[in-house]
Amino acid sequence: MKKLLIIIFIAALASACKSQDELQSQYNLAQELFKKREYFDAVTELKRLNFFDSTNQFSFQSCLLMGKAHKAGAMLNDAVHNFTMAGIFSRTDEEFYEAEIELIRVNILRRTSSQAHKIIDRLLLDERFISKKDELNYWKGWAYIFEDDWVNAADLFSKVSENHELTNFCDSINDQLYSATLAKLLSVFIPGAGQIYTGNYLNGIFSLGWNVFAGWLSINSFAEERIFDGLVAANFLWLRFYIGGINNAQKFAEEKNLAITNNALDYLQHKYGGLKP
Amino acid sequence: MKTYQILLFLFLTASAFPQNLNLHSLENKKKFADHLFCEKDYLRSILEYESILQSIQNDTIKFKIGLAYQRLDEYEKSINIFNSILPNAESEFYHSLFLMNDFNLFRIKVNNNKTDANPAVQKLYLFSYFFTDDALPDWQKFSETFSEERAVESFYEKKINPGYKSEITAAILSAIIPGAGKIYTEQYGDGITAFIATGLLAYLSYSNFNHDHDFRGWLFGGAAAIFYAGNIYGSAASAKIFNAGIKMNFENELRLFLNQNNYFMPEYNFCK
Amino acid sequence: MKLFLIIFIIATVQIVFPQSAEKWKAKEISYQHKKMEKRRDYSFSGNSAGEVLSKSFINIYRIFFSDVDGDNCPFNPSCSQFFIESVEETNLFQGVLMFADRFTRDMNFVNRSGKYFIDDSGRYYDPPSLYTLK
Repeated sequence: MKKLLIIIFIAALASACKSQDELQSQYNLAQELFKKREYFDAVTELKRLNFFDSTNQFSFQSCLLMGKAHKAGAMLNDAVHNFTMAGIFSRTDEEFYEAEIELIRVNILRRTSSQAHKIIDRLLLDERFISKKDELNYWKGWAYIFEDDWVNAADLFSKVSENHELTNFCDSINDQLYSATLAKLLSVFIPGAGQIYTGNYLNGIFSLGWNVFAGWLSINSFAEERIFDGLVAANFLWLRFYIGGINNAQKFAEEKNLAITNNALDYLQHKYGGLKP
Repeated sequence: MKTYQILLFLFLTASAFPQNLNLHSLENKKKFADHLFCEKDYLRSILEYESILQSIQNDTIKFKIGLAYQRLDEYEKSINIFNSILPNAESEFYHSLFLMNDFNLFRIKVNNNKTDANPAVQKLYLFSYFFTDDALPDWQKFSETFSEERAVESFYEKKINPGYKSEITAAILSAIIPGAGKIYTEQYGDGITAFIATGLLAYLSYSNFNHDHDFRGWLFGGAAAIFYAGNIYGSAASAKIFNAGIKMNFENELRLFLNQNNYFMPEYNFCK
Repeated sequence: MKLFLIIFIIATVQIVFPQSAEKWKAKEISYQHKKMEKRRDYSFSGNSAGEVLSKSFINIYRIFFSDVDGDNCPFNPSCSQFFIESVEETNLFQGVLMFADRFTRDMNFVNRSGKYFIDDSGRYYDPPSLYTLK
């Protein structure tokens, strides 16, 4: 009887191994499809794997791979969901960390960088990952880049290594940016100055001209005691061009900054050689 | 002898343990496809069902494919599939046809085929009249067919009496008093603004003529005339916009009702 | 705790996003920000003398006046752009009437959010096509 039980036990083990093999070959199939860039089909096979994997043996790997497939297809919300699940199904610290890093990168791409910061800060405080400080600071820098915070980004990259390529890059971008506040202030004190500061020379000269003309008109009307005419000129001409000039200065500064930033982001995406989100 | 029995027993137990060894067997494919359908991953479920249909023929599977296409808003494809498994899929066939929003075609098809015994189709047939401008059938037909009487009765009344505003009335009102046409079409702020603007410009024109400032008089007078004419035009336009708004709100209510009642289709228990 | 988290996450992703009927493919995500609204178009697209003339006047208005006093129009398209498009879609007379009506609506600053829909540019969407009486 004992022999029979042993034999049954071995048989059960053998079939468990066989089902393990089956799941493994299913996972390998999904990986093959992923390597061939057939991401939709890879996700289908991974879903199939998950459906039949009742003991969650492959849940971590399949969720991770599914997240990467969705990321490649620009389906970032699904990717976030997948990586979160991968983190839940992780069995070791390494697996957990791998899932968290992918989660950070997708949150950066999705422009939910506050979420990325939260995860990074939590990991930085985690004793298990003290050795990964450089990598975490690197991604924190990228999160700042996607928030247009080039100053903090440069600071983070300098923590990773002295004279990091991205530190210099971020600093140079920051130097090129215009200050919207400065543009507005200039136009408050000298109408047209803010526009000239942002490189819109014609607009600045016209603005100065209108302000001078409207100002002369209004003050002249008041001086000649034509109060109604003075009020009309002051309100519909002078005030309009004065406020408009200030708003324009800010708008031009923001437009120029957007162009500079987009240029920088384009360089980072297509020409920079290091790790990217 | 005993060894042989043991080996046989071994073989049987080994093959009896998990039956789902082959993930791509027909049975497992069906289980997986049903799971995808219930998870609302309709495209994947369609692809999976279609791969099953390459080996066997099954009308239930075809029906589910049709439903999945319908939920993906691919109405033509779902119609073709339901057509191939008529008469079992009659209700859903007409459901998809209705969703294509060509109500004349829908009604023609219903009339050409014997659908009197199908209450869902009869309800959709009558309901389609709310979406078009054809002559509405008698209320009696509606009350016989629908059990949800109160809602349908309110739709019927709104269809007969939508509360449209007349563009010509709006224009004439604004010709008599600038801005009155806009007030008629419930654009109160715009009406008051038009009245004030036209009135102010007319007054300025009059005042300037009185002070012998002829050029300014003509200037303000011309501006007043343009605003006056523009307001007449704008009142007619706002009546048209008002009516379009009523129509759009009505159709939204109709669709909400249809969705809440699942287009009168039976409930399926695929995913319970 | 883990089970609750799993159920919670699965439940929140049951939001039904409109699904495509095509298999999706690999797609690159651009790092760049969305571009701002189109700058002014000073070009001459019309052929007739009338259109060239009116576009010249509009350009002069824009360069000397409108570009200098800031973005004051709460609507998209702006009032001068509305005028140009109205004349293109109908005729000069009807265009002038549509513009006068638009100007009146521009002066009424009350309850705009109740009547107009805010579009991508952050302004109230008010195209000429709504007012052509067609």
